[in-house]
Amino acid sequence: MWTFIIRRLLQSAIVIIGVTLITFTALQMSGDPTYLYVSERATDEEIQRTRVALGFDKPLPEQYLTFLGKLAQGDFGNSLSYKRPAIEAVMDALPATLELTLFAMMLAIVVAIPLGVVASLNRGSPVDGSIMTMGMLGQSIPSFWLGIMMIMFFGLQLRILPISGHVPFITPLVQGNFVEAFTNLPQALYYLIMPGFAVAFYSISRNARLVRSSMLEVLGQDFVRTARAKGISETAVVVRHALRNAWLPVVTMIGLEFGFLIGGVVVVEMVFSWPGIGRLVFNAINQRDIPVVQAAVVVLALVFIALNLIVDLIYAKIDPRVKL
Amino acid sequence: MKAINRFLFAGALAAALPGLSQAAPPDDTIVVGLSADASTFDPAQISSRDNSNIAKHIFASLFKVNFEGAVEPYLVDTTTISEDGLAYTFSIKPDLTCEDGEPLTAEDVAYSFNRAADPANAFTGNTPGFVYTTLGFKSAEVVDDLNVTINVTAKTTLAPGMMAQVLIHCKDSYEAMTLEQAAATPIGSGSYRLASWERGSQIVLEKVKDPGTFDTIIWRIIPEASTRTAELIAGNVDIITNVAPDQVPAIDASGSATVEKVNGTRRMQVGFNLGKGVEGMPGAAEIQDPKVRFALQYAVDVPSICTQLLGAECTRMTSLVNPPNGNPDLVPIPYDPEMAETLLDEAGYPRAENGVRFSIRLQGPRGRYLNDANVVQAIGQYLNDVGIETEVELLEWASVYSPLLRTKEMGPLFFLGQGGVTWNPLYDMSLFSTPDGATNYQSWTDQRWFDDWKLAIDADTVEAARPIIDRMLKLFYDEGPWLQLYFQPDLYGVSSRIDWTPRRDEEIELFAATLK
Repeated sequence: MWTFIIRRLLQSAIVIIGVTLITFTALQMSGDPTYLYVSERATDEEIQRTRVALGFDKPLPEQYLTFLGKLAQGDFGNSLSYKRPAIEAVMDALPATLELTLFAMMLAIVVAIPLGVVASLNRGSPVDGSIMTMGMLGQSIPSFWLGIMMIMFFGLQLRILPISGHVPFITPLVQGNFVEAFTNLPQALYYLIMPGFAVAFYSISRNARLVRSSMLEVLGQDFVRTARAKGISETAVVVRHALRNAWLPVVTMIGLEFGFLIGGVVVVEMVFSWPGIGRLVFNAINQRDIPVVQAAVVVLALVFIALNLIVDLIYAKIDPRVKL
Repeated sequence: MKAINRFLFAGALAAALPGLSQAAPPDDTIVVGLSADASTFDPAQISSRDNSNIAKHIFASLFKVNFEGAVEPYLVDTTTISEDGLAYTFSIKPDLTCEDGEPLTAEDVAYSFNRAADPANAFTGNTPGFVYTTLGFKSAEVVDDLNVTINVTAKTTLAPGMMAQVLIHCKDSYEAMTLEQAAATPIGSGSYRLASWERGSQIVLEKVKDPGTFDTIIWRIIPEASTRTAELIAGNVDIITNVAPDQVPAIDASGSATVEKVNGTRRMQVGFNLGKGVEGMPGAAEIQDPKVRFALQYAVDVPSICTQLLGAECTRMTSLVNPPNGNPDLVPIPYDPEMAETLLDEAGYPRAENGVRFSIRLQGPRGRYLNDANVVQAIGQYLNDVGIETEVELLEWASVYSPLLRTKEMGPLFFLGQGGVTWNPLYDMSLFSTPDGATNYQSWTDQRWFDDWKLAIDADTVEAARPIIDRMLKLFYDEGPWLQLYFQPDLYGVSSRIDWTPRRDEEIELFAATLK
């Protein structure tokens, strides 16, 4: 197993270089960003001074190699917009995104699995039809539209959920302020409900459909028939025998889910004023704040790699056929 | 039945979420919803309007631009100008202090000016940028405890207005800070102190001294326009900026807030690029003729664009100078497509058999100005209507449009908004201070303008320069490089619990805001 982990970590270094190179090239392709950091009245001398100060006067390969050299030392450079270390800006925003993503993942699992199971057990019935219709809707509705509709209904009409904002939980927890973290927890969850659901709705729908089809496949197999013939209760057949075997594709999907949800939070973070990494990167791209974009991409890639590694390890644990 | 169901549903959810409902701001607090966060509170690094609006509550300045748009003393008591106009000596008010109790003296004023200019700090904010460039800042020297001299490289009537942009802070506290600390934990000289800054969420200011009605100001960062509107209507914020025109009816009908419209100082225009950057492109030769440019002024129905696309009546432009400093003899050119066609015929560009006089490209940014994409497309259609085949091209601002502007390669027609001021017409006119100046995006080279500019800028006062200014503005009206549109209306959502009037210059000043 350790050989597998080490091999994966080495592969991840190549992935990191790849994503930074692609990001760097993409951001540089549209020209010199210096103009974004000078006033419209800036003289040529002022523009050149700023260009030198920001490091954009050097050839692109040199800029990239300098970046890689510093990256190896954990230095992403200073944010051009925020005038502070880019990694600090990213790490400040990361907890909010993790809160949102983990909450959405939890919803995507906790809500989707029962829905999928119920639909499979009632195949062809109105219950199945309703759940699958919801699934189709969930995969069709854009998250930003859903978010705005939720704001209109729950925030403005009913006034029972906050329209926007964020109460931190992970940040005080990581800082060791446990009292603050757990005092904040109810409010943090309260503020998470709408953005969390807006992010998760697509995944809930997709996972429910996946669980349903996976369950239908398993429920038709011989060992399930045997279990029923032995007189085991239907609940035990479903939970212990069918669901356990239907679980494998779902675990794979959950592993990929995080990356998908991270991508989906950008728009939702904008709609709900959620101070996360998606919004930070969105603004950084608009501002051509290359150090922040690079830092965010590397951090997210590392998180994604780590999660995939964990999923692979779990997969090996729950499926004895898989050897690492 | 629906109402009962809604009530029961809301009740059930509220019961499940005890004590979690959002409360309206308390009476001693005002909440402003902004679209963008501050990036720094280092006075020399600030470069955005939202950032500056917050900082101006934390830091004082030598002068300030008042609500009426005039420059008036703030920290300054008396001003003495040297005979050659190159040295301004200010006596500052006695007994001033910074937030930490440190006395604010002439040394601190000189330090604030010199720190921003120090190349070792490599600041890239507005102060060391366009403020010092326009001011011609040279150095600041301490005369005594209460007197400081600011030296400039050339005499200019713009000096007090430019100095109003320089934020003053205390030397001892800032010398003890790193640049990172100065950016995150400012020690101010104004009415409020930075109490907390949750990046991306909110900035809280606490009052330390007058002026200021509210004890606490909260600036909430709400990037999405519809979310800002929802927060305003729900009563969670008191003021929101950049209201989208399509949301005005919803706010006005809410009963909890209204939209305040003010004609801003941003000058919206279609620029005629007369330079080499578009040489040889379709339409580039035709717009060199001032008669063609003047004809096009009649072709665009500006009032309809304002009411239909911007949700407001606009103040029409007659020149590049903000009212009331323009030439009073000039009147906005009315929408008269027949006149436009007649003038184009007279200029030697009749319609061909296919109805087209000539072709041209109109470029514009998307998402930079109020409803810009729709405005640009409407202008394109109006030009098509008078026989100018117009290809409209909408571009992303940051990575495409802005570099094209800087290199003067956009157009030949391009949509642009440029900020102006109310306190000196020469500031507005300084966009065209030289034929190759950075802000002369149109590469306008009419020598009559630039000869007069030298006379106007050398005058001792704006009043003395007035005849020259009026002559220049008449030239700009007749033959200038702008298709003159409107001063961009700024739309603010204002809660019905407060009294607050927006300023024309996009500055959000809360000192005079009160509860109703």
